[in-house]
Amino acid sequence: MAAGPHNPNTFLTLVPGPQADKSRTTGAGEDWAALMALAQDGDRRAYRKLLESITPYVRSLAARCFREPTDIDDAVQDVLLTIHLVRHTYDPQRPFGPWLVAIANRRIIDRLRRETRRKAREVVLTANHETFADPAANHSAGTFDEARLAQAIDRLSPDQRRAITMLKLNEMSLKEAAAASGRSIVALKVATHRAVKNLRRLLKQESERR
Amino acid sequence: MTKTPELIDALVADAAPVRRLRPPLLRAGLWLLLAAFVLGLIAIAHGVRPDLAERLRQPLFVIGMCSALATGALAALASFRISLPDGSRLWLLLPLPTLALWVSTIGYGCLTDWVSVSSDGPAIGEAIRCFATLLMTSVPLSIAMLVMLRYAALLRAFEVSILGGLAVAAVTSFALSLFHDLDASITILVWNLGTAAIIAGLASLFGRSMFNWMAARLMQNPMRPAARR
Repeated sequence: MAAGPHNPNTFLTLVPGPQADKSRTTGAGEDWAALMALAQDGDRRAYRKLLESITPYVRSLAARCFREPTDIDDAVQDVLLTIHLVRHTYDPQRPFGPWLVAIANRRIIDRLRRETRRKAREVVLTANHETFADPAANHSAGTFDEARLAQAIDRLSPDQRRAITMLKLNEMSLKEAAAASGRSIVALKVATHRAVKNLRRLLKQESERR
Repeated sequence: MTKTPELIDALVADAAPVRRLRPPLLRAGLWLLLAAFVLGLIAIAHGVRPDLAERLRQPLFVIGMCSALATGALAALASFRISLPDGSRLWLLLPLPTLALWVSTIGYGCLTDWVSVSSDGPAIGEAIRCFATLLMTSVPLSIAMLVMLRYAALLRAFEVSILGGLAVAAVTSFALSLFHDLDASITILVWNLGTAAIIAGLASLFGRSMFNWMAARLMQNPMRPAARR
């Protein structure tokens, strides 16, 4: 080290060497092999443990090829799903690491290829592409004021407020909302209809007041 | 979008016990047994070519037949090996030596027998029977290969379809030489290499989509109901 042993500005960074890395993956690999063998026999607890413990590793493999977190997530899920579908091809006599890495690489490369093909024929629309001849049409985002809408929803009756929150804001289906609120589907429909009518009135009144 | 923990929940819920794959050598052996069975059925129904005993005394014919059969067997073994996720890509090279020998015997026969090509060629009836043998051998063997290797759709569809196609093509070509006396060398060349090229070509063109189609029918995807929602 050129800076000398007593230089206070010297920082030490711990970097895993190739040897340490190898021993760590083989150690984990043996563990994973046993878990996979149990999972093949239908042991769900072992399977969950395996999937949860390989996810960070698969994520690190995917993170080398993708930048967007959603892309990384998609790739990880793709790999996990493939592992699930081909789990019978694993032979417990053989190491688990190469099996996992081969599947992960294959899926990641497939995904990269698909991505490249898609990018070659699709164009991402920017705000400029959405400019219309009618000036009012370009300000849909501006006229929609979330805060005003939220205030108006607060002024609704509790029944109508709950209906509009579940069905319109949380995008629940009528059946799901009926199960969650304990009300009948017809009652929810009526409440939503009235809520929309009231909201329209409230927002109109407010804009006239301005 | 499904989150990863949710996906893990779905996969764990779907984790029924699975039967591990048998060793690739055994599976390739099973496929070859099926091939032997199909050839046996054709032999019973159609009978071998009339001049087989005489032809078997010719070294070139024997080498050609043996190398075709060996190519089929090795390509089948290689395709079962390479279909496994951790199978080495080098298995692609396994059938190459016998393939070279097989192609060279056909080519050599073509060169030496060039003068014997008759202008009228084989009778049309024989050509139709030839085509029937071709279909009866290649179709069941291809379907068996697709079913046995359906999981390869997710891994290495292209390599597996090339090797699988080569295996089917070589066995089919072996069957053609066993059952039909098409001796004009140019016809042999067209039948043998042409069939092999067409089968291998179809396999590499449509192999991936055929594997996907087969896999979609035979493999249960736990996320499909979720995706439909």
